[in-house]
Amino acid sequence: MLQSKLDRLIREEIEALLAPLADAASLHDLAEESLANALQDSVILHADCRAWFLLPLIVYNILCGECELALPAIAGLELLKVAAEVLDDIEDADSAKSLPSKYGVPLALNTASTLIILAEKAFTLLKDNGVSDAVVVSLINTVNSYYTTTCMGQHLDLSLTPDAIASEDTYLRVIAMKSASVVECACYTGALLAGANQELINSFAIFGHNLGMASQIANDIKAVINLKDIKNRKITLPAIFALARTEGKTHRLMDEMFCKRSLGFDFAPDQIRDLLFSTGAMQYAAIKREIYNQEAKDILMRMKTEGIKVEQLQQFLN
Amino acid sequence: MKSQALQELVKEIFGDEGIKTQFMANPDVILSKFALTEMEKRAVLTTHTKLGLMTSNSGQLQMKDDPYIWWD
Repeated sequence: MLQSKLDRLIREEIEALLAPLADAASLHDLAEESLANALQDSVILHADCRAWFLLPLIVYNILCGECELALPAIAGLELLKVAAEVLDDIEDADSAKSLPSKYGVPLALNTASTLIILAEKAFTLLKDNGVSDAVVVSLINTVNSYYTTTCMGQHLDLSLTPDAIASEDTYLRVIAMKSASVVECACYTGALLAGANQELINSFAIFGHNLGMASQIANDIKAVINLKDIKNRKITLPAIFALARTEGKTHRLMDEMFCKRSLGFDFAPDQIRDLLFSTGAMQYAAIKREIYNQEAKDILMRMKTEGIKVEQLQQFLN
Repeated sequence: MKSQALQELVKEIFGDEGIKTQFMANPDVILSKFALTEMEKRAVLTTHTKLGLMTSNSGQLQMKDDPYIWWD
């Protein structure tokens, strides 16, 4: 019930931020459409759905017992996240359902820019809720730092050669910067707004980091299972394991598939997937994911022993 | 951080029928032969318990876990 209430409050906050766009109705529609895809998973529609969207607000609520004061910041974080997703869709150009695919790059780019600007506006609205200038500035600084890291991670992902990215250390570094930093930011800002001391803020940030790492690895596992990353010949953890730990014919196949990326190389995606299972590559990725999952659980347990009611965060862990 | 020992363990389990059989019968014995951290051991055992490390298939690995941000 709490999360349904939080979801409704966030939607109302975002709708208020988008209201000025009504003069350019189609821009308003594009902004809403990009947010709708993100917002649709914000409520627990069924037992399997996690309220990712509400993560910073949940952290805030754990520490403060209420949520209204933090709403502008949470709305701002969501706008930033969605803007990043739109930009990622432009950069990857691999999704037919994305905003750039449906409406073209220029309109998608302008929509992302608009969301970023509205996010900055959202953070300043915290003042109207009585949040001090110092906290508002600290929050904006924090968010900008984290999203700069995200951009650096995305830059690495886009620019590294297959040989360079086919290293587990590099892969982990890239996803830490690109993906985990967003989740870490969400948890950090929730705790910052709640007035937690730096030690507690750091604990929530570490939880967010590990949660983000686990989630990205899970995403990469899923993208191999549904053949998407295989068809795109994208190197993620399962492929990295296979490249490092197979020999002979299997290794040559993986090398041709992911590193050399020969244009004339004919492959059956489901056979590559089967190989990734039979060599243990997928299971290795699942174990690595579990390591980060366990680290996140351990942090929650430590906070629980200190009297922090972290039960709401356990839904994000497997 | 990359773990050589963990990679080696998985490679051996999936590449050697004898080790695979021993792992299925008694995972702790096999784990003790590799220089794994306590966290790595926990993760292997938990994954094995949850998903059946040797028999996990697409459905089991595709856990209900929507990522926070859909980085592709």
